[in-house]
Amino acid sequence: MALIELRDVTKSYTRDAIEIPVLDRVSIAVEAGDFLGLMGPSGSGKSTLLNLLAGIDRPTSGSVRVGDTEISSLPERSLAGWRARHIGFIFQLYNLIPVLTAFENVELPLLLTNLTKAQRRDHVTTALGIVALGDREKHYPRQLSGGQEQRVAIARAIVTDPTLLLADEPTGDLDAKSAAEVLTLLQRLNQEYKKTIVMVTHDPHAAERASHLLHLEKGTLVEQTRVG
Amino acid sequence: MKFLGLVLKSARRSGTEASSSTRIVTIRSTSLIFSMPTSHAETIRSTPGVQDLTWANWFGGIYKDPQNFFANIAIEPVSYLRMYPEIVLAPEARAAFVEDRTACIVGEGLARRYGFKLGDKITLKVGIPTYGTEDYDFTVRGVYKSGGAAVDNQSMFFHWKYVDERSLVKGQAGWYVIKVANPDQAAQVSAAIDQKFANSPYETKTDTERAFQSSFVSMFGNLSLLLGSISLAVVITTLFVAGNTMAMSVRERTTEIAVMRTLGFPSSTIFLLVAGEALLMSIIGGVLGVGLARVIVNPNLIQAGAFIPVFGVNNTNAAVGLGLSAFIGLVAGFIPATMASRLKIVDALRRAA
Ligand SMILES: Nc1ncnc2c1ncn2[C@@H]1O[C@H](COP(=O)(O)OP(=O)(O)OP(=O)(O)O)[C@@H](O)[C@H]1O
Ligand SMILES: [Mg+2]
Repeated sequence: MALIELRDVTKSYTRDAIEIPVLDRVSIAVEAGDFLGLMGPSGSGKSTLLNLLAGIDRPTSGSVRVGDTEISSLPERSLAGWRARHIGFIFQLYNLIPVLTAFENVELPLLLTNLTKAQRRDHVTTALGIVALGDREKHYPRQLSGGQEQRVAIARAIVTDPTLLLADEPTGDLDAKSAAEVLTLLQRLNQEYKKTIVMVTHDPHAAERASHLLHLEKGTLVEQTRVG
Repeated sequence: MKFLGLVLKSARRSGTEASSSTRIVTIRSTSLIFSMPTSHAETIRSTPGVQDLTWANWFGGIYKDPQNFFANIAIEPVSYLRMYPEIVLAPEARAAFVEDRTACIVGEGLARRYGFKLGDKITLKVGIPTYGTEDYDFTVRGVYKSGGAAVDNQSMFFHWKYVDERSLVKGQAGWYVIKVANPDQAAQVSAAIDQKFANSPYETKTDTERAFQSSFVSMFGNLSLLLGSISLAVVITTLFVAGNTMAMSVRERTTEIAVMRTLGFPSSTIFLLVAGEALLMSIIGGVLGVGLARVIVNPNLIQAGAFIPVFGVNNTNAAVGLGLSAFIGLVAGFIPATMASRLKIVDALRRAA
C-alpha cells in the first residue's frame, strides 16, 4: 500500500459566487521513501495540492489518505494533532519565528510532545547537527543568511521525525549555492534517513534531485516522470 | 471614591429641606471653592435689611486618614453660634469654646463615631495648602446637639482666628451667613449685597441658605458624577485602544500564527496565547498604573483645593484598579484571540507570500 494516496481530489474556491476550479480529479500515489517533485506553471495548483497533503486545507471532494489516516475527514482539532505528529513543512520564505533563536525555533514543534526538556535539547541538537548549524543555536533568524534560515526551517521540520516532509519551493528564494546546499540536504534526508518528501518546485535543478516528477497543468496531472 | 459618598451623605444630612428663611449666604460668584476677604463684612453689614452677620471657612483638615472625612469648619465663634441657635451647646461648654483659641466643638454624631470626649486633643493634618504645612491641634470643649435641620451633628467647628494666624493668605472668608430682618426682603437684600461687589475682584453671589446648601451638595454631587464619567470614558477608551493594539499585533503576526498552526498547535492554544498576552499586558499596565497613582495621588503631592477633601489610593482602590485592568485585558483580548484562532491557515500563508 502506498504511503500517500490521493483519489479523485477536486478543489475549488468560491469567489464572488463564482466557483474557481483549482484541482480537477487528481489521483496520486506516493510510496514510502519517495522524493517526489511536483512541477507545473504558476497557478496550476501545486501549493494547493501540497496544502491538502499537509492537512492545512481540505479538498472539495475526493479522499486524501496518509498512512492509515483519511485526513480529509478528520475534525480540525485532531487534524492539528495529526500534523504535529506526521508532517514537517518547509516554506519558501522559511517562516521562522523572528523573536525565537534557531534553537527555540527548532524546539517549537517539540513543545507539543511529552518530551522532557533534556530530551527536547537532544532532539534539537541532533536536528541542527544534521543541517550543519550546530554552532548557530543562539542566533536569531535575522542573524542568519537565507540559506541558513532555510536549513533551520528544515531542522524544525525534521525534529519531530515526521512521516512526511513537504516543501513548497524551498529554494525559490535562495541563490544557486544555497539552493544546492538545501537540495543536497533534502536528498540526504531522503536517502540516508529514508524520509518521504514531496517538494513543489519551478527549478529544473531542484527537480533533478527528485526520484519522481509530477507535472500539473491547470489543475490536472499531465505526465509522470521517473527520474534515474 | 468612598469619601465622595460620605460628603454626599453629610452634605445631604445638613439638609436642603428645612433651613431658616431669614438666613442668606454670600459666596464668591465664581465658585464656592474660592474665598474672599473678611473686609467684605463691613460692606455687607452696612446694607439695609441686614441684621446680623458671621463668616466661616472650609478647613478641609484630615483626621488621621483622608478616609475619615467630616466637615471641619473655621468659624467666628460668637457670631456663628448667635447665627445658629440650632447648634445646641451647654452654657459652660459654649463659654469654654469661645474663650480658648484652640478649642473646638464637635457634633454628637461625630463624637460617637470617633469617641471624642471633652478635653480630648484632636489633631488635623492640613488638607488645603493655604493653611500652611503644620498640623493643627484642637481641644474638644463641647459636644453639640443639632437643634434643627440646618445643622448636622457630624461636623467640627473651631476658631477662624486660630486658623487665620497660620494661613498663608490672611483674612479670608469662605462664605458669609447673613440674617435679614425680614424674610420677605431676602431677595432684595441679596441683590443689594451682590450689587455692592459687582465689578470688584471679588464678585459675590448671595442666595438663600437653602440654595447654598444645595450648591454644596451639588458641588460634590457633580464632582462625583464628573469623576465617574471621566473614569468611565477612560476605561472605554482604554478598552478600544487595548483591543485595537491586540488586533494589530495579531494582524502583524498572521504568518507566525499560521506557521504555528501548520506545526500543529491547536487553535485553542493560539486563542489562549493571544488572550493571555492581552491579559498580561493589561495587568502589567494596571500594576504600573496603580503604583504610579499611589505615588502621585497622595495627600503630600496633590492638593485638590478647598472643599475637596484630600484623597489617596487605598487598597480597595488599588484592587478595583487591578480588577479593571484585568477586565480590560480579557475583553480587549477576546476578539483578536478569536480572530487568531479562527484564522484560515492557507489564506494567511498566501497573504504573506
Ligand atoms: N484561498 C484562495 N482563494 C481563491 N483562489 C485561490 C485560493 N488559493 C489558491 N487560489 C487559486 O488557485 C490557483 C492555484 O493556486 P496555487 O497557489 O495552488 O498555485 P501554484 O501552482 O502553487 O502557483 P505558484 O507556482 O505561483 O505558487 C490559483 O489560480 C489561485 O489564484
Ligand atoms: Mg505555490
